[in-house]
Amino acid sequence: MTTVGISRAALVLLLTALIAVPMVLPKLGSSFWIDIVAEILIWSLLAASVNLLLGYVGLLSFGQALYFGVGMYGAALSVIHWGAGFWGGLAIGIIAAMAMAAIAGSVAVRLTWHYFAIITVVFSLILYFAAMSSKPLTGGDDGISFSAPNVLAFGNTRLSLADQSVQYYTILLVVALCYLLFSLVVRSPLGVRFMAVRENDRRAALVGINVYLTRYTAFVLAGALAGASGALFAFFGRYASASYMFYHVSGEAVVWAIVGGAGSLLGPLFGTGLLIVFREIISTFWEHYLFAVGAITVLVVMFAPRGLAGAWNDLLQLVTRSGASASAPTSSPATDPGLAKPAADTTSGG
Amino acid sequence: MSALVLALAVNGLVWGLIIALIALGLSIIFGLLDIINVAHGDFFMLGTVVALVLTLATGSYWLAIALVPIIGFAVGLLLERIIIRPTIRQASLTIVTTFGLSMMLQEGVRATYGPQPRRMAAPIEGTIPLFGIDYDVYRIFAAGFAALCLVAFFVFLTRTKLGTWIRAVRHDPETATALGVPVARICAITFGLGTAMALLGGAIAAPITTVEFRTGVDILPFCFMAVIIGGLGNLQGTVAAAVLLAVLEGLVTSVTDPTIARIASLGLMSIALLLRPHGLFSGATR
Repeated sequence: MTTVGISRAALVLLLTALIAVPMVLPKLGSSFWIDIVAEILIWSLLAASVNLLLGYVGLLSFGQALYFGVGMYGAALSVIHWGAGFWGGLAIGIIAAMAMAAIAGSVAVRLTWHYFAIITVVFSLILYFAAMSSKPLTGGDDGISFSAPNVLAFGNTRLSLADQSVQYYTILLVVALCYLLFSLVVRSPLGVRFMAVRENDRRAALVGINVYLTRYTAFVLAGALAGASGALFAFFGRYASASYMFYHVSGEAVVWAIVGGAGSLLGPLFGTGLLIVFREIISTFWEHYLFAVGAITVLVVMFAPRGLAGAWNDLLQLVTRSGASASAPTSSPATDPGLAKPAADTTSGG
Repeated sequence: MSALVLALAVNGLVWGLIIALIALGLSIIFGLLDIINVAHGDFFMLGTVVALVLTLATGSYWLAIALVPIIGFAVGLLLERIIIRPTIRQASLTIVTTFGLSMMLQEGVRATYGPQPRRMAAPIEGTIPLFGIDYDVYRIFAAGFAALCLVAFFVFLTRTKLGTWIRAVRHDPETATALGVPVARICAITFGLGTAMALLGGAIAAPITTVEFRTGVDILPFCFMAVIIGGLGNLQGTVAAAVLLAVLEGLVTSVTDPTIARIASLGLMSIALLLRPHGLFSGATR
C-alpha cells in the first residue's frame, strides 16, 4: 500500500468516525463528549487559518483571534439585529472577517518575519481594546447572547441548533466544507504559488509570482477560515464576547497548529483535538493544566517541530519502506514549514 | 486640573523609566539573539512576585531588590540553556517557545503563589508636595533608581570588555567568532541580563502595582510598543520611546479614557512599524 493509499484510508476512517460520533458516544457514556468533538471541529478551523499562513505561506500570525472575533460578532449581531438565520449569520460572519482581513492584510503582508507577527498582534490588540470599550454594541467582556436560529425551516420540518445532533452535524458539515475548500486551494496553482513564496520569496518573485498579492490572498483566506470558526463558535455557544479577541486565543491557535504540524492539511485538526481533549481530561482534576500545555508547546518545538503530522509522515515512510513496495513514491510534501529565516527582505517590507 | 495633568505626566515618567528598563531587556535579547520573547512580561511578573515573597521572608525590601536581579540572571541563564538554545535554529518558532514558557510561568506562579492579587507596602513611606499635590516618595525613588540602572547598563555596555563583546556579537557574530569572542556564552549572558532587567523592573514596580500572576500580560504590549517605536534593537531608542509613550499616555489619560490612549499608542506603533521599521530614532547612533 502506498503512502497515498494509507492516507486516503485514514481520511475515510476519520470521516466515518466523525459522522458516527453522535450515534456512538451516547451509548458509551455521556453525550457531553459530542459537544467536545464539535468544539474541537470549530477551533480546528482557527488553527487551520494559522496553518494556512504559517505552513503554506511562511507567515506566523499571532493575531488570528481578531478574525475569529469579527466572525463571532458578525454572526451574533446579524442574528440579533437583522434576524438572520444560521446560514445568513454564518455568511455575514465570514464576509465580515474577510473584510477585516482585507483591510488589515493590505498593510500587514508588506511585512514579513518577526515584523509580521508583531503587526498582526498589534492589529488584534487595537480591535480588542476597541471592542472591549464599545460595550453597547459588543457587550465588552461580558459579551452578548442570543437564541439559536433554525438551521433549516421547510414547511413543518424545522431543524434547530437546540437539538444536539442537528447542531453537531451542521458544524461537521460546515467544517468539512471548509477543509474541502482549503485542500482545493492548496492543490490549485494558487496553492503552488503559496508554497513557492514560503520556500523562497525572492526566487518566487523572479519567476513572476506577485509575492505581495499571493500573501495577501492567503491572508484574506485565512481570515475567512478564522471567521467561519468564530461564527460557528458564536452559534455553538449562542454568545459572542470580546474576550475571545485577545492575543492569548491567537497564541493557543498557533500552538494547536504547530503541535498538529504546520504545513499539513489536517495536522492542526489533530493538534486541536489532542490539546482540547487533554484540557478536558486534565482540568477535571488539576486546575493548572495550562502549565502542562505550555510545557508541551516548548517540548514540541524542541523535539518535533513538524508536529503530529511530521510523526505521521515518518511513520508512513517507515511502514511503506518495510512493506513490499519499497519504490513507493514519497509523495508527502516536505512539510517542514519554511521557517528558516529568509535570506533577504527581513527588515523592511519596502 | 493642571496639577492633575502634571501628576499624570509625572506618573507617566515614573512608569516610563521602569518600563524602559524592562523594554531594554527585551531589546537586547532581540538585538542579539533575534528572538521575540513573549515571556518577557512574565519575567516582570516573576520579579514582582519574588520581590514580595523575599520581602516577607527576609523582612527587608532592600535585600529583596538586591537579590532579585541575581535570581533573574540565574533564571535567564538556565532558560537560555534549556529552552532557547535548542530552538534558536527554528527561527520564528521561538515566538511559540516563549509563548509556551509564558504559559508555564503564569500557571506556575498561580499554582505556587496563588491567584489573588496582592499589594505590597511601599518601603519608603510618606509623600512630598509636588506641583501642589502630595506625591509618594517611593515613586520618585523608583524613577531615580530605574534611571540609575539604565545609566549603569549603558556604562557597562560601552566601558567594559563584556559589554564590548556583547556589542560586537550584536554587530557581526561571524567576525566576532573569528576574533575569538565566545559567541554562545555571550548570547547566554545577554539573555540572562535581559531577564535580570525584567525581574529588576518587577522588583522596583512591585510596591506601586498589584502583585499577581497576570500583570505580565498588561506590561508586555507596552514593552513591545517601546521596542518597536524605538526601533527593534536600537537600545537608546527603546528607552526614549518608553519614556515618551508613558508620558504621552499619562497626558492623554487626563483628557480621555485609558483605553483610547492605549489604542492611540498602538496605532502610533503600527505606523512606526510600517513607515519606519527601524524606529523613529533610526538616524541616531546604534
